[in-house]
Amino acid sequence: MSQNQNRSGDNNLKYAVDIVLCVDTTASMARMLANVKQSAMSFPNRLAQEMAAKGRGISSLRLKVIGFRDYADCAEDAMVVSPFLRVPDDLDSFEKTVNALHAGGGGDEPESALEALALAIGSDWETGLDRRRHVIVMFTDASAHRLGDPRHTSAATYPQSVPGSLEELYAQWGSGQSHSARMENPAKRLLMFAPESYPWTDIADDWNNTIYFPSVAGEGLEEWEMDQIIATIANSL
Amino acid sequence: MKLNQVLNGYRVVTRPTNADAGKCLWAFAEKGGGEFFIKEFLDPKIPKADSMGTVEDKERRFAECERFAKRHTDIMAALRADDVHAGNLVLAVDFFAVGTRYYKVTPRVRPADAAARDLDTRGQLVLLKTLVDSLVLLHAKGIVHGDLKPENILLTPARKGSLLVAKLIDFDDAYQAGAPPMAEVIGGNPLYGAPEWLRYLRGDQGAHARSLTQAADVFAVGLLIHTYLFGVPPGYGEGHESPAAAVLAGAPLAWDSRLGGRIRRLLESLTAADHRARPVIADVAAALDEPDVLVSAAVSPSPPPVPPPSTPPPGGGARTSRVLVNTTKTAARTSSARLRINLTDKN
Repeated sequence: MSQNQNRSGDNNLKYAVDIVLCVDTTASMARMLANVKQSAMSFPNRLAQEMAAKGRGISSLRLKVIGFRDYADCAEDAMVVSPFLRVPDDLDSFEKTVNALHAGGGGDEPESALEALALAIGSDWETGLDRRRHVIVMFTDASAHRLGDPRHTSAATYPQSVPGSLEELYAQWGSGQSHSARMENPAKRLLMFAPESYPWTDIADDWNNTIYFPSVAGEGLEEWEMDQIIATIANSL
Repeated sequence: MKLNQVLNGYRVVTRPTNADAGKCLWAFAEKGGGEFFIKEFLDPKIPKADSMGTVEDKERRFAECERFAKRHTDIMAALRADDVHAGNLVLAVDFFAVGTRYYKVTPRVRPADAAARDLDTRGQLVLLKTLVDSLVLLHAKGIVHGDLKPENILLTPARKGSLLVAKLIDFDDAYQAGAPPMAEVIGGNPLYGAPEWLRYLRGDQGAHARSLTQAADVFAVGLLIHTYLFGVPPGYGEGHESPAAAVLAGAPLAWDSRLGGRIRRLLESLTAADHRARPVIADVAAALDEPDVLVSAAVSPSPPPVPPPSTPPPGGGARTSRVLVNTTKTAARTSSARLRINLTDKN
C-alpha cells in the first residue's frame, strides 16, 4: 500500500518533486548566473502552473542549491550547499540562498563541478508519495577537474563523501539494473547546461536519463532552456 | 541529437526538445524527401567498450537494452503499417541505435488547425469512429495503448473530402493486456487514466497488474468522447484531481447537460469503476454506428443503471477474445444489437 493512501477516500495521486540546482559561481559565469537566478526565482510558480495544467498537483516540492567554484583556486569558498528547502514554506530561504550566489573567483578552467554533482547525487531524496521526480540541473560554462586529485582532496573543506573517480561517481548514478545507485532510476534526471568538454560529453553519452544542452562561455541561459527544465519535470511524472 | 545531425539517414530539421515528452527528446526530421518525427530515448543507453562501469554492470545494461529493443520491435511487428485497418495508427517505421542511444521514427503528421467540438455532428462522429476503429485493431491484438489523451490523437484531414480523422500516435507506453510495466515506470495521464491504473500506480492493496487490460483504454475513450464533444472531460468534483479519483470514491462524473441520453449512458458504462463492467471497444464502435447516436438533448433524463455486458474472468483474456471475434462487420452488428438493448430501449 502506498504510504500516503488516505483512509478517508482521497484517491488523488501524490507527486513529489526534488530539484537540486548546481550552479557554477566562478567569475566567467556572471552573465549566465544572472539568468539562472532570475529563472530560479520564477521556477516554483511556473512549475506549479505547468503541473496544474496537466492535472498533476505537486504534493511535495523541495529545492536545493549547490554553488561551486574551484578547490584548486580557493578551497574555503569552493562549495556552498543548502539543505532541501520546501516550497512554499521555505520559499524565503530559497530566494535568499539564490540571491546570495555571486560570480567571482575560480581561477582558470577547470572547476569543481564533479564534486558538486557528487553532492547532488548523494542528496536525501524523497522516497515516499506515489510518484517522484528527482532532478539535478547543472549550470556551468567550464570543464571539470578530475575527481581524486590529491591537490584538491587534501583541502580541509573537501567533502569526504565525494568519490575518488568519475567511474565511482557513475556507479552512484547507476543504470536501471545497477545495485550501487544512490538515486531511483525511473525518478532521476540530470540536465546539463555545460560546454562540450570533459566530462559533460562523456556523461551525456554514457549516463542514462540525461539531457544535455551544450553552452557557450560568456553566453546566458536562454528562456527556451529554462522551459526545457520545466518540461522535463512536468511531463515525466 | 542535435539540429542538422544525420541519424541513420534522417536529418534533424528542428531543435530537439523534451516538451510533452518525459522519457525522450524529439524533433522533426527528413529523409529521401519524406518528413518524419524522431525520438531519442533517455534510457537505456548502450554501453560501449570504453564506457564507465564494471564488466558485470555493462552486461546488465546490455541485457536491459536487449529487453528494451525487443519490446519496441515486438510492438512494431504486432502493429504493421500495411494492415488494412491500420490507416489511422501512426506507426513506427524505423527503430535503431546510433552510438549509445536508441531512436524511433514515425511519419510526421501535420494536424489540422481545428477543435473537435467545433465540428458538426457528422464530423464529430467520423472523428470518434476513426479513433475507436484504431483501438479495435489494437485491442484485438491484445495491446493496450496505455496513454490515450488528446495530445496523442492528432486530427488530420481525411484523404478524400473535408472531414477530419483521428490519427492515434505514441505507442511507447503500450503493453500487452494484463502485463503492464511496473508501477514505477508505467505511462499514462492522470486526467484520462482509469481507476485500476490509478490504484496500480499507487500500489494500493488488491491492485493487480492483471486488472490493467484494454478496459483501461475504454475508460479513457469515455472521457475522450466527452472532451471531443464539449472541449473538456466531464467534471469530477472538488476534492478529486481526476475522473479516476472521483470514480474510485464513488462520486458521479458531471456530464455536460447537452449530452443526449443514449450517448450519456454509453459514456457512463465506459467509465464504470469496475473495469470488468465496461463494454469492449467493439461495442463502442457498434454503438457509434447507431443512427443519430450523437443527437443532443437539452435535458437528459436520469439514466437507469446499465447492466454490464458480461463479466469476463480476471485478466481480460475473454474480453480480448471477444474483440477478436467482433472485428468483422457482421460480428460488430451482432454486438451492436446486443448493446442497443442496453442503450436505447430505455431512452
